[in-house]
Amino acid sequence: MRALTILSVLPELLDTNGDAANARVLAQRARWAGFEATIVPVRSLDDLPSKVDAIVIGSGNDSDLLEARDLLAPLVNALRAWTTAGVPVLAVGTGWELLSWGIELPDGTVVEGLGLVAGRAVPLAVRATDDLVVESPFGRLVGFENHARSYVGAEASVLGRVLSGMGNGAKTEGLRMGSFLGTHLHGPVLARNPGLADHILSAAVTRAGGVYVRSERAADVDAIAEAATDVVVSALSLTADS
Amino acid sequence: MHRRSWSAELCGSSRAGESRAGGSAVPGLVVNKIAPGFLASVLNGFPDGLVIVSGSSGKSTTTKMLVAALRAHGVAVFTNQSTANISQGLTSALLEEVSLSGRIHGDMAVLEMDEGHGALISATLNPRVVALTNVMVDQIDRFHDSDMVVAMLARIANRASGTVVINADDASLTGLAERLDGPAVIARYGVTAEVLAENPRGLGYSLTASERMPAAGGVLLTSVSGRSASVLLEGASFDLELPARGVHYAVDALTAIAAARAALGDRFDAATACSAVSTIPPVFGRGEIVTVRGHRVEFVLVQNPASFQLNVDSLEPGLDQVLVAIGSDVRDPSYFWPVDTSALGRVLIASGSKAHDIALQLAYDGVIVDRIEPDLGRALDDFLALPDPVHGIKTIIFSADSMRRTRAHLGLASNREG
Repeated sequence: MRALTILSVLPELLDTNGDAANARVLAQRARWAGFEATIVPVRSLDDLPSKVDAIVIGSGNDSDLLEARDLLAPLVNALRAWTTAGVPVLAVGTGWELLSWGIELPDGTVVEGLGLVAGRAVPLAVRATDDLVVESPFGRLVGFENHARSYVGAEASVLGRVLSGMGNGAKTEGLRMGSFLGTHLHGPVLARNPGLADHILSAAVTRAGGVYVRSERAADVDAIAEAATDVVVSALSLTADS
Repeated sequence: MHRRSWSAELCGSSRAGESRAGGSAVPGLVVNKIAPGFLASVLNGFPDGLVIVSGSSGKSTTTKMLVAALRAHGVAVFTNQSTANISQGLTSALLEEVSLSGRIHGDMAVLEMDEGHGALISATLNPRVVALTNVMVDQIDRFHDSDMVVAMLARIANRASGTVVINADDASLTGLAERLDGPAVIARYGVTAEVLAENPRGLGYSLTASERMPAAGGVLLTSVSGRSASVLLEGASFDLELPARGVHYAVDALTAIAAARAALGDRFDAATACSAVSTIPPVFGRGEIVTVRGHRVEFVLVQNPASFQLNVDSLEPGLDQVLVAIGSDVRDPSYFWPVDTSALGRVLIASGSKAHDIALQLAYDGVIVDRIEPDLGRALDDFLALPDPVHGIKTIIFSADSMRRTRAHLGLASNREG
């Protein structure tokens, strides 16, 4: 099997909450399972490698929305081709919003999105800053959200149901369209939620011609993640590991 | 030899409340309700004016160094000694000093201000000098991104009547300086390209300026080695002793020297300022070495991702006894993930209420974590019971909350320096 190539898109601009760490998480889990893995930071068309196995995009500051959108625009044809071919994509916060139809700002102006996925971001009355717990096909997802917009127009293709927190609004969270996953769970969502990480990694390893089996090292580390997320869940008085 | 003070007269009944609250904010709260203009009128009344130090990181150390430099020039300085960087605490600090006539002894006031609270109360203040340290991603739950921090610092800087002192390497601050509409002139400090190159991950600013300040542009840091540093000022070179290892302390000293120069004008003497900033004792919890239960232990405080990274990078390699404790003050542990902790190699115990979260990050950075013990007291007891390490010194890396709990558990003086 060839080495895995994991793209980290605009890792300086879109890493406000440590979201770029998700690429590091995928690469480490791959290495622990015996595969070689390379993280390729992408800032322009010239950085794109010929073969890609997984793509990670993080969240940035609102003042950088236009700059980030304009840097993403030349990449979107390649992203579309890879998404169509089944390359797993994890997009967090503004990185996800910029790949949608667009972002409505509180003053009524709209930042046109790049149209890779359905839906749009619209302002929330109050910023959502708290723990976010979601029931999903990849297990219970636990993390932190810090955003000022909900997500509408893709209600049939959500990542999961909100158990605690805001998410997209309307008790749903995230977006799942083919191999594209969008979420408000910021920071190291894949470290804290290994079920989601391994869903992405399995798809990536399969594309590279291998079979992914979780390593013992990953199982040990996942026990730490479970303890960390159980602390959050019990503080919210939700049933642990529901 | 304490003068009879307002606090005793006006707020005698709340003194008990002060100790119960574990801080100095209660009498201040009372006076702010009784006489809301008190704070501003006293602070604006110093004959040589008011100096404000603000920014994301390094405020406490910079303020201390600046006060030392001013006092070495014979200036009588009033400053907020304790963790009084919010308005109630500030009023309490003033009440300790002010006489019944409402006058306070001192030529000049130097205040450390939290950028958030500073913007709230600064509309009534008339500082002569405002010194800004840097803009980092800090306290993310309150200031959700660096843009908000810059906007708050700009509100403080626009109040300056004399000089705004800025870090020329921090692009957020150089941008702020270009947009200032107050009457103040700009003074700068910065590091050389060589100093920056020795820190491949940068100095931790949200945005680093693309160009370095020329030597004629202000106070320039030309070298840092361990606890020594050199600065170039008006064509002459001066040596500094730092309170602890790390380039960020050298930059704090630079900020203090540039601010002293702005505050003192013709009275400023570079040699006096440099020797004064070299005398300040190590700040609690930031490279502080203490002896506890017969062992020497180094305390390292991490307050934000940038200081975490700088501290990890400045630790001696190959330490074999490290404890990391992250507490409930880190509401969202995500924000430490931009930090590369791999240089730690091995951590004996991860502790604090966020023990599992920090252990998870360490594990993904390839650091071996021997034990996760959320009970900080137990972790400290077991860590200190181990014989002295073969390499280096017992090292405890902690967040501010874990630092307070550690000091309390070990019976050490509480950190009054915030």
